[in-house]
Amino acid sequence: MRGGISFVLGALALAALQASVAAGESMTIPKQVTAGSAFSIQTTGSGPAVLYVAGPGQALSRNVQMGEPASFASGALHQAGHYLAVLVKGSSPVADGSFDVVPANQPAKLSFLAKPSRLPVGLRNGISGSVYVFDAYGNLITTPLPVSFALSTPSGAVQKRVVTTQNGAASTQMDSGAKEGAAKFIAQAGAATSTRVIEQVPGDPCTLQMSVQPSGQQLSVQTAPVRDCSGNAVPDGTIVSFTEKYNGIQSTVDVPIKRGVAQVEMPARPGATISVASGVVAGNEIRWEGGR
Amino acid sequence: MNRALLLSCALAVSSAAFGDQPQVHVEPPHLQGPLTLAQQTETAAIRDYLESWKSLQTAFDQNQAALLDADFVGTAHDKLTSAIDEQAKLGIHTRYQDRAHNVQIVFYSPDGLSIQLLDTVDYDAQILKGGAVLTSQHVRRRYVVVLTPTQVRWAVRIFQEEPQ
Amino acid sequence: MNKGGAVLAAAIFVATAAFVAIGTLHPVASADYFARGRTLLRPSSTPEAAVENLGSEIRLEQWQKAYSSLGNKAEFTENEFVHDLTGYYPSLRTYATVNSVEAHPLHATADTAEVQLILHWSTVVGGFVDTRDLHLVRNGDRWAVDWPLVKRQHVPPQVIPVNYLRWDVIYRGPGDDWGAQDVEAPHVRIVDMHPENRAEGVFVLGELLNEDVVPAFVSVRATLLGKSGATIASEGSFDMIRHTLLPKQVTPFLIRFPNADLSKVTSIRMDPLSVLVPASADPVIEVQNQKYNPAPGASLTGDLVNESGQTVNIAHVLTAFYDKTGQVIWVGGQYVDRALLPQTPVPFEIHVPEDLARRVSGERTITATYGLGDSM
Repeated sequence: MRGGISFVLGALALAALQASVAAGESMTIPKQVTAGSAFSIQTTGSGPAVLYVAGPGQALSRNVQMGEPASFASGALHQAGHYLAVLVKGSSPVADGSFDVVPANQPAKLSFLAKPSRLPVGLRNGISGSVYVFDAYGNLITTPLPVSFALSTPSGAVQKRVVTTQNGAASTQMDSGAKEGAAKFIAQAGAATSTRVIEQVPGDPCTLQMSVQPSGQQLSVQTAPVRDCSGNAVPDGTIVSFTEKYNGIQSTVDVPIKRGVAQVEMPARPGATISVASGVVAGNEIRWEGGR
Repeated sequence: MNRALLLSCALAVSSAAFGDQPQVHVEPPHLQGPLTLAQQTETAAIRDYLESWKSLQTAFDQNQAALLDADFVGTAHDKLTSAIDEQAKLGIHTRYQDRAHNVQIVFYSPDGLSIQLLDTVDYDAQILKGGAVLTSQHVRRRYVVVLTPTQVRWAVRIFQEEPQ
Repeated sequence: MNKGGAVLAAAIFVATAAFVAIGTLHPVASADYFARGRTLLRPSSTPEAAVENLGSEIRLEQWQKAYSSLGNKAEFTENEFVHDLTGYYPSLRTYATVNSVEAHPLHATADTAEVQLILHWSTVVGGFVDTRDLHLVRNGDRWAVDWPLVKRQHVPPQVIPVNYLRWDVIYRGPGDDWGAQDVEAPHVRIVDMHPENRAEGVFVLGELLNEDVVPAFVSVRATLLGKSGATIASEGSFDMIRHTLLPKQVTPFLIRFPNADLSKVTSIRMDPLSVLVPASADPVIEVQNQKYNPAPGASLTGDLVNESGQTVNIAHVLTAFYDKTGQVIWVGGQYVDRALLPQTPVPFEIHVPEDLARRVSGERTITATYGLGDSM
């Protein structure tokens, strides 16, 4: 039903437009306008009219004296897209047309998606970065542009890549370094830059070594400083599990590493076997012979 | 005057199809980047994108920006909402009817958090004031679209039309 | 109103009046008790009756009556008696009620008797049982219970140094700044998973590892899938998991599918969930003296020792039982009903189903703890 009504109204509008052209009422529209730039639409004819410009990005109107140009100041029309323009005199359309607004070619803003924000050291292609490049009005710049990616790791090493955008997007992958700490991941296109911080964290404990000392009626069990295979200290709070087995009886305790080591007191039972593990990594085993 | 009537008849033929389902052609993905796109993800993203056209049409026709909320997020949502508010203030509304889509996914970001597609769309566009159609035009343009996942679906985050 | 309706109304009125009359003349004992405040208790003329009476008074929280009936009440105050039952410190007992009472005679002479009192407590996380062996003394025609008071435990004055370690999290906050970073969810991994078909249904058990360097709030959901990939059932681990996992910590989990049949399941989808949460590395709980007691009545017994200086109000013990190949074959759990005071052992016991008991070759126990003010 709507289609039918639309058709009739559309037919009437076209008929009126045709009549107007015959009466010398028209407008000259630029085919393409850069987003945010000043431009004008020249009209012919006489008398007052209203110019409507509408698209999915913006809708504007201008009161015009026909025969004079309708001016759009810098920044007035800034959303990229296809726009319809129609000149209305009284309540009748007298001229119409359309034009495109295209993004400015100067990058002003980047949407930089960097993942993950935290990962273990020494991971090949573990870090990914994707960039979408926008102009000052938030329009995606779809013409090819070079984007440079740089990852500065805590050791001072810098990985660099330059990727040309396709349809406004560019992406890359980087390796995490061998040293723990915050790495800076920077994307740059023209004058626009964006920085992300990637936290490089130690990996699993590499060798878990503990020692046992008598402490009154108890045994003091303590690990050596716990490090990953790159020599980074495993962070405080990491759980180390101690197990003591003696004559069919077992004692277990999960202890967080504090100040680099895990330490706990366990029952002193001559002949007991004490083992240590963290996550899926097992450490050494000690048989306590009562201090002998 | 006879020419005007002829044009009107031509418009009649096209307008009779107003409200019909658009023809959709999906090209195989042509991806840059290391991540492969699962068929299920591709289907869901394109389905959600095509649905977003329906809410866009209704929102612009009825000047109700809230109808965009389910399908658009971020920049696209803000721009479209602003355009609807502006046309409502001018006392006009716009009617978009998509006729054909030619869709191809061109980028799936390595983090899996964005999908970019290109769509060559044939559509009819009208500006209306009250009940009167001020202009009616057939348009063929390329859309650059970026979708990002929300909790339940892919939503349009960048929705940009450009000359072919 | 039609005639039929009037007859029905009259019949209901007469029947109601008849029931009221019967109820008044021959009341049910419990109704009579609640209506008039009378006691259901029978005279304590036998040891069992005396213990049953005491159990009923405890169940009804009639502490004064229960205390008054004790033969050895001069040895402690009523307050101590109440706290012996409800906990000297806030604990699971504080929020528990006695559901039922059993009395089992053990031994009797003319003037003394031994009777076992079993109190079945119920809480929001399940029940626990309190067993007391009571000594009774005859006093004329009545028997009086000597209550075996468990005295308040006192921790010797001391200073326990704690290097307090905690993680706080600042999230990105609301808004839609696309591409802006947020803190990454902790990386967790299921390191073992095994479905077990039992008479009660299907049990999915396994272990989950936090392989990250930050604490995680975790849970696991399992979905049973049928032949065509259709979902048969989906369940979560609920409380059969330690929810707060510190870096490199492993928790067992158990997911129950009541009435499900493993033969109809073609695959199981596992969805571990992890969220970054603020957490503390303390308290540290040592699980001492773990001893596996084989069938019949297979169980794991042991003691929890709070190694830190703060009182733990509620502790949940979770044990993974392994077969000789190292695969998890059962996960058992028990809430400890008393608060864990610093350096003070509190016993626990976790039962193992008889049919699995013979296959148990090893076990690993962890505890989840909650202090007052913590969010559970």
